[in-house]
Amino acid sequence: MDLKEKLEHYRINSDEYEAIKKQLGREPQGVEWAIYSAMWSEHCSYKSSKLHLKKLFNSSPRVLQSFGENAGVVDLGQGERIAFKMESHNHPSFIEPYQGAATGVGGILRDIFTMGARPIALGNFLCFGEPHATRMESLVDGVVRGIGGYGNCVGVPTVTGQTEFHPSYNENILVNAFALGLFEKGKEVFLSKAHGEGNYVVYVGAKTGRDGVHGASMASESFDEDSESKRPTVQIGDPFYEKLLIESCLEVMEKGLVVAIQDMGAAGLTSSSFEMAAKGGVGLDIDLSKVPLRDSSLTPEDILLSESQERMLLVCEPGQFKDLEEVFHRWGLDASVIGTVTREEAIKLHWKGELLTQMDPQMIVESAPVYRRPFEKWENKWESATNFTSLAPSEPIEIIRKGLSSIEGCSRQWIYQQYDQRVGGQTRRDCESSISVIRLPQTERSVAVVLGCRPHVMRFDARVGGIDSVAYPALELAIKGFEALAVTDCLNFGNPEKSEPMSDFVAAVEGMSDMCRTITAPIISGNVSFYNETQSRNITPTPSTGVVGLREDFSDLPTDELLEEGLRVFWIRFKPEQNYFSGMWSDEKGEVASGQFNMDIDELANFTRCMRNLCSEPRVKASRMVGKYGLAYSLARFSMAGFGIEGQPGLKPEHYNREDFYGALIATHAEMTQEMAMEYIKDSCKDSPGKVEIIELGQSVRDRIAIDHWQIPCSEIKEIYCNSWRKHFESLA
Amino acid sequence: MKKIGVLRFPGTNCDRDIIQAVNESGGVGEYLWYQDRVDINQYDGFILPGGFSYGDYLRSGALAAQAPVMDDIREAASKGMPIMGICNGFQILCEAGLLPGALMRNTSSRFIDKWVNLEMISPHQFFGGQRISKGEVVHFPIAHADGRYYIDERELSGLHDNEQVWLTYKDNPNGSVANIAGVKNKEGNVGGMMPHPERALFEWMGGSEGLMIFL
Repeated sequence: MDLKEKLEHYRINSDEYEAIKKQLGREPQGVEWAIYSAMWSEHCSYKSSKLHLKKLFNSSPRVLQSFGENAGVVDLGQGERIAFKMESHNHPSFIEPYQGAATGVGGILRDIFTMGARPIALGNFLCFGEPHATRMESLVDGVVRGIGGYGNCVGVPTVTGQTEFHPSYNENILVNAFALGLFEKGKEVFLSKAHGEGNYVVYVGAKTGRDGVHGASMASESFDEDSESKRPTVQIGDPFYEKLLIESCLEVMEKGLVVAIQDMGAAGLTSSSFEMAAKGGVGLDIDLSKVPLRDSSLTPEDILLSESQERMLLVCEPGQFKDLEEVFHRWGLDASVIGTVTREEAIKLHWKGELLTQMDPQMIVESAPVYRRPFEKWENKWESATNFTSLAPSEPIEIIRKGLSSIEGCSRQWIYQQYDQRVGGQTRRDCESSISVIRLPQTERSVAVVLGCRPHVMRFDARVGGIDSVAYPALELAIKGFEALAVTDCLNFGNPEKSEPMSDFVAAVEGMSDMCRTITAPIISGNVSFYNETQSRNITPTPSTGVVGLREDFSDLPTDELLEEGLRVFWIRFKPEQNYFSGMWSDEKGEVASGQFNMDIDELANFTRCMRNLCSEPRVKASRMVGKYGLAYSLARFSMAGFGIEGQPGLKPEHYNREDFYGALIATHAEMTQEMAMEYIKDSCKDSPGKVEIIELGQSVRDRIAIDHWQIPCSEIKEIYCNSWRKHFESLA
Repeated sequence: MKKIGVLRFPGTNCDRDIIQAVNESGGVGEYLWYQDRVDINQYDGFILPGGFSYGDYLRSGALAAQAPVMDDIREAASKGMPIMGICNGFQILCEAGLLPGALMRNTSSRFIDKWVNLEMISPHQFFGGQRISKGEVVHFPIAHADGRYYIDERELSGLHDNEQVWLTYKDNPNGSVANIAGVKNKEGNVGGMMPHPERALFEWMGGSEGLMIFL
């Protein structure tokens, strides 16, 4: 290979090549090429996003661990802590959907139990293209089977998800996996910082194979026509092995046999060893010929870059190795000493008696390139906008029928029925619900998870969309009485070397961070996925989030649907004068979805608090956000269980044909009179003066919605909602 | 207080849930490791939890059925001790020859997680006993890909004649022969079911009728 071919093969640009030469004082040699390629890839180094991520709001008294470790850790206040994170597996899932999605789940689980937390909940945020786009049915099928195949087998319930469809994902789907783990009282948090001269470096788990070699750098570039040829870069997962790893790793940690631990994820052994050493300010002496191999023809470079799954690297004291090995053997796994910790800050890599290279881990990790990619500063183009056209049908019934039968608005039951949502025995609310709820074992408290980011809002405006990625899920939690504690994000964007995707990135991240600060829910973990671009077409910028909430009492949660007669149903609207936005009722580019918009995030935070106060009491029996299709569609969803609403609120067309940005439907206890209910709601909303409009819609009745001059039977609603999926995906029914 | 041995194979994942169910019902659950031998006299009964023992390699339950601990379970079964297998535990008991029939891939070829209605056909003498009476309908979740119960016609009529059908689905989700969700051995001390009663202990789980199975 000449130099040009080499740079291309290792995906290193000429400026980076010059920087490497300067660092080393010479040309890189042998495996050094591979190490730089991996460690300086966008995927591992965050070189385009670092400058902006540094500004994220990431701390609060509850946060024990933020960025820099495998996952963030939050204190729940009574001895328990939770760790959670979200991560993308977009590129591999598009190339090979089953394995791509499965290993996405496996990878995010390892980030959690690496820290000593037992994984107790999984979620997934998926964005697909149009149902009839090329390969889309098989992509949907493969991704869903992959998530289920892995999650079901490891025995961690998949409790929540969000699935979006839009043409901008036709050639670049998004698969983001979320995982949450629990440290029960007294359990220690483990970090990846290697230390203790003379300690062993131990390799555990599956043997190393050729799969995933160059995976990290593959994920750091755009797709072209031959994505097919990249299939060998996708890893193959084995959830059974992962289950054994979970149990054995938690056991050795509990027995105090572990000094430091890190999973081998992106860029495998290279990234885990360099990061463990750099964090600890130590060196590692590693003999690559001791790494257990699946295939004896693997070269040192393959071993360094392999992304074979279900592998961990840990540091233990020599005197404790025997006990450690015994635990792994009991679980049917091998533990191999492949090196030692040294005082000298150098990673020395040996191969069959030969020293391949000696490199300073700090130098590689800390002095990775940081790019100030060009972007344009966000401006509010909406404040004075007056053009507004809604493409919504004029009749509420038509809105309901169209919304419920669309791929965006129909039931996702086909998807989540393939996931085990209850293993672990703590699930209070599953995938069918607006938020998922897990009981903390043996307590009266519950944590809730809801995923955020509404791509149609991102298409409207990146900053507003960024705010919304936190604000909307926080409100979904609030109307079930949960307080948002912290956030994880998975920032899926296009090519950062182009101004538009980079500008969207900066605006969205700032919006998210500002909202998080205002509600004191810090961003504690996450990842960035750039280059979601295929043949120069970028995806909708999609900063997905996982927002985790806590509720201290065990009273009944407001239901998502009306379950009895006689409840009083109210529509609570936040700043209705600003709702000149047609949500889903826009053209493909979201261009008709324009309008006045000047969201005051302090007011929004106040409103969220008010809604939580309101919905924390048993006086509220049911609650639901109004959401992207506006009032009529959410009334239909509210009425799915056979109880609808009857009333004469005197609504006008503009109440139906636009998105009610942060409005909610609330149903109060049947024993409350109209005056009592109104008084209660007003009192709860008093800290949000002048910003809230309360409209009484009517009372819950059996079998139908009958509002003003229109009506529809609950049975028709349910029929359309439940049966529309198979019309879009005929072969998947 | 009854003491129940809860078997753990590599890949078992409902073990903690079963312990929770046994404890909630006033008993004591104790883990038993698949490679160890067990003094069966120390226990009042045994439960084989769900999961993916050996990652479902070969066939669901086939490898676990050969584990050392199963020799003791066979002995306990022959002595008339109560033994219950749930989901993968049911598959293991069939593979071990302790229960008739076999579990095959669902007709949809997909994993299915949902709540189903089950009819009590013939109560198990220990698990649930008379708390759920004949003909009563209960509501438990299922979560399996290999849950289609199969047995040939001749043996099926034997099952009915001997009152070995424990539970049936009201609305067959997986293509099981004769809607069968759970069966017992001839003697009635060994039972297996695909649904998960341990996931229906409290109203907050979505239903609480499962608790009766463990009382």
